[in-house]
Amino acid sequence: MILLAMRLRGALNALRRSPLRALVGVIMLGGIFVGVLAATRRGVRFLEHYPGIGSVAGAVEQRSLEALFTVLMVAVAFSVLTGAISTLYDSTDLPFLLSLPVGPARVFGLKVVETYVNSALLPALFTVPVLVGLGLERGAPPGYYLIAMAALLALYALPVAAGALAALVLMRLAPAGRAKEVATAASVALAAALVLGMRALRPERLSNLTPEQFDQALTRFAQWHVSWLPSAWGSSAVWRALSGDVSVDALLLAVVSVALLAGVARVAALAYRAGWFRSLDAASKPGVVGALPPARWEAPLARLGPAGGVVVKDLRLLARDPAQWSQLLVLAALAGVYFISTASLAAQMQSFRDLVGALNLMFLGFLMAGVGIRTAFPLVSLEGEGFWLLRTAPLRARQMVFAKFWGALPVMVLLGGGLGVAVAGRLGVAPVLALASPIAGVCAGLAATGLGVGLGAAFPRFDATSPAEVPLSTGGLLYMAFALIYAALTTLLFAFPAYRTLRAPGSFHWGSTGGVVVLAAVAALTLLWTVLPLLFGSARLARYESGRG
Amino acid sequence: MIDVRRLVKTYGRVRAVDDVSFRVQGGEVVALLGPNGAGKSTTIKAVTGLLRPTGGTVSVGGHALERAPLEAKALLGYVPDRPYLYQKLTGRELLRFLARLRRVGDAEAKAEAWLAHFDLQRSANELIETYSHGMRQKLTFAAALLHDPPALVIDEPMVGLDPRAAHDVRHLMRQRADEGGAVLLTTHSMEVAEAVADRVLLLHHGRVVASGTMEELRRRVGVEDATLEAIFLQLTEEAAREAAA
Repeated sequence: MILLAMRLRGALNALRRSPLRALVGVIMLGGIFVGVLAATRRGVRFLEHYPGIGSVAGAVEQRSLEALFTVLMVAVAFSVLTGAISTLYDSTDLPFLLSLPVGPARVFGLKVVETYVNSALLPALFTVPVLVGLGLERGAPPGYYLIAMAALLALYALPVAAGALAALVLMRLAPAGRAKEVATAASVALAAALVLGMRALRPERLSNLTPEQFDQALTRFAQWHVSWLPSAWGSSAVWRALSGDVSVDALLLAVVSVALLAGVARVAALAYRAGWFRSLDAASKPGVVGALPPARWEAPLARLGPAGGVVVKDLRLLARDPAQWSQLLVLAALAGVYFISTASLAAQMQSFRDLVGALNLMFLGFLMAGVGIRTAFPLVSLEGEGFWLLRTAPLRARQMVFAKFWGALPVMVLLGGGLGVAVAGRLGVAPVLALASPIAGVCAGLAATGLGVGLGAAFPRFDATSPAEVPLSTGGLLYMAFALIYAALTTLLFAFPAYRTLRAPGSFHWGSTGGVVVLAAVAALTLLWTVLPLLFGSARLARYESGRG
Repeated sequence: MIDVRRLVKTYGRVRAVDDVSFRVQGGEVVALLGPNGAGKSTTIKAVTGLLRPTGGTVSVGGHALERAPLEAKALLGYVPDRPYLYQKLTGRELLRFLARLRRVGDAEAKAEAWLAHFDLQRSANELIETYSHGMRQKLTFAAALLHDPPALVIDEPMVGLDPRAAHDVRHLMRQRADEGGAVLLTTHSMEVAEAVADRVLLLHHGRVVASGTMEELRRRVGVEDATLEAIFLQLTEEAAREAAA
């Protein structure tokens, strides 16, 4: 308890030091809570009043809750693997805690709680308004809320325990010193595969069902119950609590969760020693001795001077750091989902294809904005604590920022342009849109890179532990706002040729005055969105103070 | 070579460095001493361009850091107290990267020479994340010396070094000065400062409370054979009493 109180005190002190950040966080959480609560209540009401649904409504709601629990548990399981390694093995305070007159099982008990909070807190917070909304709509007694929250906490303890155990096994089996990298790669690859797989099922096919077929599907869904799944225990516990009962499932869930968490703490205490020594072995393995010349691919980049040197260094770090290259997997999954989604809309009618093609021009901007925040925005912050090496070198902030920009640009432009070509080709859109699509993709890629690198340099987070953490900042919010404004403005510009093509096919040509004006405006807008943030970021970075205090 | 004039650095209401002035000429080693929180590291960071002074100027080789940062930084080599380096580069790759950054001619040969000097050749192809603290410190020294800078700035040089490496670094600092270079260092080790420094600058609460050669400092405290440690203790106690009064 003392250890836990110490942790809570630290967290409170951190909040006191940055009250504005805490306030923004509370407002955002409040907004999410209200939104999810309203959506849940509306959803429940919709089901209750669905024509002819009768007694199936409750079962559908319960199965939906089960599905939500399953999805969020899988999400927790994916994120817990790397988090557990960091918390159970790599925590900087572990040696200190273990030197205290406290049993190792208690120390690791605290670490398991930390792992739980880090991995499951957000999904749990997201689930709370769902359960509250359900309780309010179904007029649940006060005891429901207590049991539902307890079931919720117990439910997410299961993937945390499973993930932590997997992490302990991984520490034993993975190549020495590489467990975290293997865990990161495995988590991201599985998550990407899952997202792609779910998208490949094409849930939009449900909209093609006749009302009778939909009713049948709904009834089948209501009967779909896998009693041995923990998510089914959770939903059953919640459902019984709605009528004021404490079910066997609730007790089972609580006992299994507590036992598993305690077991993990015990096993972690035993495994720590062996794992720690094992990880140290990595340092003593003999490697290649002797001067290795630079790789051939470095030569052309090195000729570009210091900026080329930065690009070479960044490419090497990208290739070796799973936290960085795994972002490319996410990016590939995102591109895959986008392609599958738009390609599935390919229809017989040319006008409908052109309509989707026109929408594609807008969506490309949004997609590239999403890609940019994961790839371009964190680039400067990825210098991390090694930033002093650049800061003390005779290198202008502008040179550094532009080096990051040039490093990211080929990937972003290829992705944007490639998707533009692929989607337009798959849809078989009119020539006007077939040309606009890659132009929109390339321009969106260019703007997202400039905006991302520029604002990432203006609001760096050199203390971030992973690229995914970097955008969680004021700079990240600004990036998203400006990226969306860019997407909206380019949509407006492309709306003219798209409208003309849809109204009267063949009536618009890019060589016409209107076409040239649109292209020039898109180019000017893209240039503005690319260069201004880069200059702003360079100026802010030049004033940045390293190692303050 | 290094010229600090009326340097002031404030953090909110706190004056971490308060009107500090000193010079480090080519051919001399100057040690910045002081208790924790005296402003040593802040001064060093202002000299290397990591922090922007609130007031005053810093020049290196006649180039003001504020107006001509590139020229000034080109003349500096810096070893920080905590050697944070890119974990996923090898030692050799790090030196190659810095050589490109600083446009060092004949970089490969120079890198090999410094790797050999610090006995890092066997581990030069290993990732830095596998290095011990001492190895990282030695690699940081190699990185700072790669471009043969006329001015060397070192923050706590002996932290994590084994006795052999510590001896080599002490010798190296002296040698750099004897060859005409300027060396500015901060240290908590009175022994190191006494052994290598030509002049000592004592900081307390961000202000210079004493400066001079060992002889000058001994005259100041009035003890002919006083060690630097004794001088340090006496002068910091005096400064603390004055501040309290």
